[in-house]
Amino acid sequence: MQKMIRKILIVDDSPIARKMLKSCIPRDRGYEFYEAGDGREAVEKFRETRPDVTFMDLTMPVMNGYEAIEEIIRIDPKAVIIVVTADIQVKAVTKVMKLGAHMVLKKILRKEEVEDALLKAEDTLRKFS
Amino acid sequence: MDVKKEKILTDEEVDILQEIMNIAFGQAASDLADVIDIHVILSVPFVKILQAPELPGYIRDEIRDICNISIIEQKFLGKFRGNALMVFPSHAGKELIALFGLEENMHPDADPAETLGRETLMEVGNIMIGACIGKLSELLRDSVTYSPPRIIIENHPCDTIPDSQLAADDSAIVLKTVFSFDRGSISGFVFLVTSHESIQWLKEALRKFIERYE
Repeated sequence: MQKMIRKILIVDDSPIARKMLKSCIPRDRGYEFYEAGDGREAVEKFRETRPDVTFMDLTMPVMNGYEAIEEIIRIDPKAVIIVVTADIQVKAVTKVMKLGAHMVLKKILRKEEVEDALLKAEDTLRKFS
Repeated sequence: MDVKKEKILTDEEVDILQEIMNIAFGQAASDLADVIDIHVILSVPFVKILQAPELPGYIRDEIRDICNISIIEQKFLGKFRGNALMVFPSHAGKELIALFGLEENMHPDADPAETLGRETLMEVGNIMIGACIGKLSELLRDSVTYSPPRIIIENHPCDTIPDSQLAADDSAIVLKTVFSFDRGSISGFVFLVTSHESIQWLKEALRKFIERYE
């Protein structure tokens, strides 16, 4: 089976949260990782690196996740964005899905959830390709 | 060496605590949004560690309208133990009554809005503090019990926290997440005051927590 995901962008203002997410991603698949600490940096990194999957936090300084998703979807309407958030209010989840997020994962993450999310993201990428 | 100048928590410990509080406040917002049909807008949590006696001065510097605040206190008891203090502006009680849709419960008798406002404030404080401390203790594998919430400051002219609440050796963990509602203009923040022993337990628990992700 052709591997679809090569580049992963992790966006979170907390270095600890980025480390926690990274530890849930399988290490044996040769992914290239990119990181951003706020929404604005995320948009810049997205433009530069064109990641296959973007993990996006919502509550961040400078530019929040909602605004960053809007910007990224404007750059690439097919961008696969997985929201990883502690803000699990129904209205927050509905809003990000409307903005074009692929799915929402609730912090704290479990390895199986992240692996499952990556498989689903690969399915989507295959459909787009 | 001046003991008070020593770092109570390292930068990494503060980062871990900040992320845990982010998760805890997310839970608190969700619990509150389940009770009232609103969206709670969260800010990035800010964590700062102080010696407890510095807390009143810190609150005075942080809150613009210091003469018009209410503080709800709830004690929590576990391996991590202390007092959680939630600071609201004084008008929050009345605004929360409207958000909860409780206006029809008000009677034209003596001072009902005041009583209902206090009860509503305590209930919101209880939900927010319970979710914050509950999540914190769950993630750090502790188990806590709580005292009932009570209002310790209410429209006192420019008071903050009575000295009797703060022992000189205690530490105050300022967990400042400003939360506001999509309807209404209430915002508030939470402080935890805890002992030296609890901080030692917290440091160890934070280390064990992050080890799970190494």
